[in-house]
Amino acid sequence: MNKMLNLMRKFTIIFICLLCMLPFVVLLILSLNTPKRVFYEGNMFIPDFYVMNYVEGWKKSNIGNAMVNSAIITIIALAIIIIISAMAGYTISRFNYKFNKIIFAILLSCMMIPGIINTVPLYTLMIDLNAINTLWGMALVCATNALPQGVFVFSGFIRTIPKEIEESAIIDGCSYFTSFWRIVFPLLKPSISAIVILNGFGIWNNYSQAVFFLQDSRKHNVPQALSVYFQQFAGAKWNLMAATAVIAIIPVIIAFLLFQKNLMKGLTDGALKG
Amino acid sequence: MKLKKILIALLVGTLLVGMLTSCSKGENNQASSDIGQENQGTKKEEKKETVRLKFFTGKIETIDLMNEIINDFNQSQNRIIVEQEYQKDASNIIKIKFAADQAPDIMTTYEQGFADQGKYLDLSDQSDLWNRLTPAMKEACTDIKTGKQYRIATNMTMAGFFYNKELFNDLGLDVATTWEEFEKNLETIKSERPDITPWFIFGSEAWHLGHLIEFIPHGYIKQTLGAVEAKKAMLDNDHSKLNFGAADGPMAQFAGKMLDLLQKGYINEDVLTATNDNCVQDFVNGRAAMLSNGMWILSSLLEANPEMEDKIGFAPYPSYMPNSSPVVLSAEDSGYSISATTEYKEEAIEFLNFLFSAENQKKYSELSKAPSAFTDVDADWAPENIVNEVSYAVANAVNIGFTNEKPAGFSGDDAGRMVQELLAGKYNAEEFAIAYENAWDSGMN
Amino acid sequence: MEKNKIGLHTFMALPAFALFSVFFIYPLIKGIGMSLTDWDGMSKASFIGLDNFRQFFGDERAINNIRTTVLFALGSAPLLNLVGLIYALLMNSRFKGKGLARMIIYLPAIISPLIMGYIWYLLLQPGRGFIYHFLEQMGKSSWFGNWLGSYGTAMLVLILVNVWQYAGMTMVIYLAGLQAIPEELYEAAKVDGATFPKRLFYITLPMLMPAIRINVVTNIIGSLSVFDIVMSLTSGGPGYATETLSIYIMRMSYGARTGYSTAVAIIMFFIILIPVLVSMWLTRVKSLD
Repeated sequence: MNKMLNLMRKFTIIFICLLCMLPFVVLLILSLNTPKRVFYEGNMFIPDFYVMNYVEGWKKSNIGNAMVNSAIITIIALAIIIIISAMAGYTISRFNYKFNKIIFAILLSCMMIPGIINTVPLYTLMIDLNAINTLWGMALVCATNALPQGVFVFSGFIRTIPKEIEESAIIDGCSYFTSFWRIVFPLLKPSISAIVILNGFGIWNNYSQAVFFLQDSRKHNVPQALSVYFQQFAGAKWNLMAATAVIAIIPVIIAFLLFQKNLMKGLTDGALKG
Repeated sequence: MKLKKILIALLVGTLLVGMLTSCSKGENNQASSDIGQENQGTKKEEKKETVRLKFFTGKIETIDLMNEIINDFNQSQNRIIVEQEYQKDASNIIKIKFAADQAPDIMTTYEQGFADQGKYLDLSDQSDLWNRLTPAMKEACTDIKTGKQYRIATNMTMAGFFYNKELFNDLGLDVATTWEEFEKNLETIKSERPDITPWFIFGSEAWHLGHLIEFIPHGYIKQTLGAVEAKKAMLDNDHSKLNFGAADGPMAQFAGKMLDLLQKGYINEDVLTATNDNCVQDFVNGRAAMLSNGMWILSSLLEANPEMEDKIGFAPYPSYMPNSSPVVLSAEDSGYSISATTEYKEEAIEFLNFLFSAENQKKYSELSKAPSAFTDVDADWAPENIVNEVSYAVANAVNIGFTNEKPAGFSGDDAGRMVQELLAGKYNAEEFAIAYENAWDSGMN
Repeated sequence: MEKNKIGLHTFMALPAFALFSVFFIYPLIKGIGMSLTDWDGMSKASFIGLDNFRQFFGDERAINNIRTTVLFALGSAPLLNLVGLIYALLMNSRFKGKGLARMIIYLPAIISPLIMGYIWYLLLQPGRGFIYHFLEQMGKSSWFGNWLGSYGTAMLVLILVNVWQYAGMTMVIYLAGLQAIPEELYEAAKVDGATFPKRLFYITLPMLMPAIRINVVTNIIGSLSVFDIVMSLTSGGPGYATETLSIYIMRMSYGARTGYSTAVAIIMFFIILIPVLVSMWLTRVKSLD
């Protein structure tokens, strides 16, 4: 009986995985077909293994430069989110100051405000700050977007960490501030990984704000570069588009592979068991 | 060990607090943060009195050529540097730029509303340029309300039906001038070649359906009232002249005819999900007999299948109302405007003059497959067969222009989405006409 | 403990607050001001009080957009949580290739909506998409319908694609919650002879509350403000059949109705706020002290 259940579970998982992979498989097949091939004629699942699509896609699009830009933006934004929202999450979950409560309430309610309401005022602000066409400006905007969720997640996780853990340090004469960095922060690994995974790719893929703040084509990020390339070559060149899309996906998957190792280790350590 | 960790933590903490205070403190000390360096280059050069002009465009097909021309211009003198910004959604992004008081110096986007608001520099005094333009094009560039010119269009564009000449010859079909003939043609194609789509419409893109409204029912209004009267009627929302809502009016007739064609299977079944790319592919592979579009689609068609060069025919939209004639769009294209608030008027005009040189315009015309508006530019803008087809169509049909006088709150895309609703079965013809009139009215406010 | 002693810890929320004030609250206040005006983004704005709000509730398209948005959320948020939880329960055990499976399930969530929309279009297009041709080659092309182009099914497709894309994200948070539950609890329960459903309802779900809370709240917000998926798959079409509030806001603000669009954004805020508050109250965590 148990064996049957296990087998069923395995099949279900394999089925789910296939479902999740289907679009990527299609993309990969397309990207490896010759320009002449109509992709649904003949055996759809065997591509022509025509690699020149990748060479041409790389050469003609601005994707390499855009990936560097996206990477810089993502790294700066994530560092800011992690450090400042962990600090905020700590004081909010540990100390009942009125001030903390107000900040938390503001952050949470702002999570529900559609960002588009800010478009024009934020644009004016970015101009005043000389932040248009700068990677740091874009990173600050992206960090702000993810801040409420970061504080929410960190305060939630810190609440599940027993207070006794820091209290011994406080008795030893540490301040709350230092004991946070020394004792609590290292325990936050799981939620840090969660923040990286939950927000990192969203920042990497940000399009709606990049359109306004990264106008110069040398400062374009990945979705912008893809969008320009897709349009410039719209028409018959599905294979080139697919190949460029695959190029854009590769670093994301590599980053994910790197982080998921840590994420999973952090997760199995567990917030409560740590 | 522990001490080290504390130190690092503290350092990070203070650094952060420092960074943030400098952030919130203010607008002017940005250059002091190291990441802010990217901007400094710009500032230094500005001190040497280099003028930087922002050129804003929504024309994807000319990005590379414009970069080349801009590069030539920047090299040709050392005082002005032009920078190109391309935006896919240019007509919307420009609104945000205006709203934030950040108009680019030169732009390709033009709208009646902006002209009314005085957003564009008056170019009426540039007689050197206007003298080179054909009179018809100068008229097309003239704002009906003020009688002034706020933009210079460098090209003409035409829109009508592209059809597969080879197929028409094989089936013995002639270009239709009336809707009855048109339907007859579609019927013949459908019965003789069941696997070919008689008329391919890529309705997933709202602008394409909006263009059908623009060319067919609006085309009828422009034809019967005349260009200037039609513009005035639209600006004043003169119901008696526009007659959008009437059951026998141009809108209801158009809607009824479209529903009829769809029901008879003369239009592709996947009209609501088909894309521009699908349309190009089906047409060049002989799976679609006709499509409605403008000259801007030519380069895609020829690139997808160069052998189409001699097989592409071009025809006007057949007359579909009593007492009317076939129409073809023959309008201004690639308009350039200068912002009214630019600090560098002289420089902007200097660049436009460079861009409008006969030599550059020849390249421009040939690349964008649109005849030049300048009389001194002699460009081979399309293969000979197509040039002949287009000139014949233009000479034998009523020429209409684009409607810039639409209500601010009812765009061509909005109209296109209403056609989507029509084709999806939400309205019958009369309901569609009434809904269109209502949408037009509420867009006026 | 001297909790009330003032120290650096008192001000630890300040950096977050400062950043947020500059880049969100300050522009927001300016934005809210606009909602009481008839600003079109160009000419001088004049104060019109609550007219924009009145206009919203009298507009058929706007009311229909509320319906569409709520419908999408009603389908998507519960389904996402359910599917995410089922995935997490399936994956919460040791087996070969677990890491790989987890990665594959999460994969859809990390790809840009732009590419995603493009891929799904390629798959779903009637008469030309991959799925159609696959079914055709199997001789079952009649199974295929014009899912993206019909009123009834377009919304369903959007909900399913959204669940497909973000179930992995929900799963990861549930997995983290599951792995934080001490093994001893289950062992004790097993000794007492508790069945799987009993263990699920008396141990797993209550212990999972913090994860449930995060997921429910994020999914409600995400579903009610959905933009990317709709924009890239149907652009709100056919017609306005799948136009959601956030798309409406964008179109209004681009359509020279800046003041009105900020008013709609404020209305949308309350539409999101109510279910979020309710679900936060329902999933409140009892203090661990």
